[in-house]
Amino acid sequence: MTIRLEYLIPLPLLGQQRGESEVWETSRLNFKPGLIYLVGAPSGRGKTSLLSIIYGLRKDYKGKVFIDESDISTLGEKEWSVLRKTRLSYIFQGLELFDELTAIENIKLKNSITKHKSEKEIQEMAGRLGIADFLQRKTGILSFGQQQRVAIIRAMCQPFDYLLADECFSHMDHKNGKLAYDLISEECKIQDAGLILSSLNSSEEIRGSKKLIL
Amino acid sequence: MKGLYSILWSDNSRAHLLGAFLGTLAGLVLLLSGIQFYTDIKLVLSDNQDLLDPEYIVVNKKINIGQTLGFSGSGFSPGEITALSQQPFADKLAPFISNAFPIQAFTESDKVPNFSTELFFEAIPDEYIDIKSDEWKWDPEEGIIPIIIPQDFLNLYNFGFAQSQGLPQIPKGVVSVLNFRIRLNDSSGNYQDLPGKIVGFSNRIHSILVPHDFLTWANDTYGYFEKVDPSRVILVSKDPTDPAIIKYIEDNGYDTIREKLKGSRLNIILKFIISFLVLIAGIIILLAFLVFFLSLQLMISRSSQKIKRLHKLGFHYREISRPYIFLLLILMIAVTSISLLISGLFTRQMAAMAEQWNMAISSSLHGIIFGTALALITLISLSNVIAILISTKKLCK
Repeated sequence: MTIRLEYLIPLPLLGQQRGESEVWETSRLNFKPGLIYLVGAPSGRGKTSLLSIIYGLRKDYKGKVFIDESDISTLGEKEWSVLRKTRLSYIFQGLELFDELTAIENIKLKNSITKHKSEKEIQEMAGRLGIADFLQRKTGILSFGQQQRVAIIRAMCQPFDYLLADECFSHMDHKNGKLAYDLISEECKIQDAGLILSSLNSSEEIRGSKKLIL
Repeated sequence: MKGLYSILWSDNSRAHLLGAFLGTLAGLVLLLSGIQFYTDIKLVLSDNQDLLDPEYIVVNKKINIGQTLGFSGSGFSPGEITALSQQPFADKLAPFISNAFPIQAFTESDKVPNFSTELFFEAIPDEYIDIKSDEWKWDPEEGIIPIIIPQDFLNLYNFGFAQSQGLPQIPKGVVSVLNFRIRLNDSSGNYQDLPGKIVGFSNRIHSILVPHDFLTWANDTYGYFEKVDPSRVILVSKDPTDPAIIKYIEDNGYDTIREKLKGSRLNIILKFIISFLVLIAGIIILLAFLVFFLSLQLMISRSSQKIKRLHKLGFHYREISRPYIFLLLILMIAVTSISLLISGLFTRQMAAMAEQWNMAISSSLHGIIFGTALALITLISLSNVIAILISTKKLCK
């Protein structure tokens, strides 16, 4: 899958650019398959906007976004559902978990429509991220860091060509963040998928990644 | 998919749905029992031979003061007769014809007191007459006029007049052998005397009847009265319970012996009660449907954030609407089966009660009941399913 941006700019950011952005209003930006992109910027520069636009959640933008040469503004509800089930996975900054469900139910909710992971694989991932003991708890009572890990595992439960991860390690300590990143990058490798990672800390370095300044 | 169901059902408006459920149940039971009851009563009515034999109905116009004073006629115009004969309830009809010349009857015997009276004759085709007699024919050679008088006449004489005047009572058989003569007069004072003979007593027709061909012949020979429209019409109806008969008669200012149309009356009252019942049931079902509709829509709109979230996760709106449709269908199936069950029990109870009154009504539900229930539920379900799909789709935009 290729993602291409042409002169893209979210409407709220229109007219605020001073020419240093490597993403906004550039004539052509290609995300190549299998690569890791690290989008770094302080708050308010539109990290979440970029991911949301690519994922089809936001439509208030100028310019064009192409997924495999088709303009995403022409995609219908059904096509987005298929894309989100089979080609694009998203770890939301707001997590979008259902508080009334347990952690495992949240994960299985996604897996129920993709049938991508087995029960055993899910348990294994939870074990790696250290939340195996919390799976039966309602998500609402977990800490934000634990919830982030639930959301990460849920995002793994589908086939994807690109994983969009929006500040998904923000509430984890270094050790847990590392474990989570390893899990994600491994899955990307298995699926031969690209990863677009946003981070508040623009100086953060990830080995082998291409850095994009917003 | 357990997760999906528990997410979307957690916001359900239980009280609303329960209300809608009970409302639909009550309405449906009322409606189904009403139809069942009506079907049964119709069957009972048609089993009842008295009520449903082809009925001979004599129709005349109501006499009003205008007719008394001679402003308007009381006869049926040819147009009115044609209109009446074209009514669906009228299988056949015939106007009465009456004598167009003066008639007297008098006795000519030593055995009975002398007696003379002015008389009238009417005639209708033989097929409308309830007396079958070999003597009921006009033979010009023989010259005997057979006559049918109403049973009531004889009763009046025997039980009223004769007793109060100290006269002997006369049995039917004796009346038939009474000899008397009929005098037919023409306009110029000529007359012909013919023997008359009472050959029967009619319960159906309150008139003095002679054979149709006799009266036709006599009118041709002696008649000189101005021709008037027939004042009475006899009609045959296969279904005297048809409410249209009473309605037509009343709407046109006609009159008849009401007793004969009691089936029709009964049917009107019954139809009225049942229509009322069905109307109430309809209103209840309509309201229940609205509550159903609104509860489901409320459920959906309360869950709008969750639905949007599910859509973000890649759920298609059809997948999201499935729990709502499933809930709807469960409720609909439950409401249908419970209402059929209650109506069935109710029907059995009614049948047991009816048996005590010697009325045989069905103790199981008629096919039409199942059909009605199915049709209604399908209609309610279908419209709700469409509404659910539309509103979830809107949220997934």
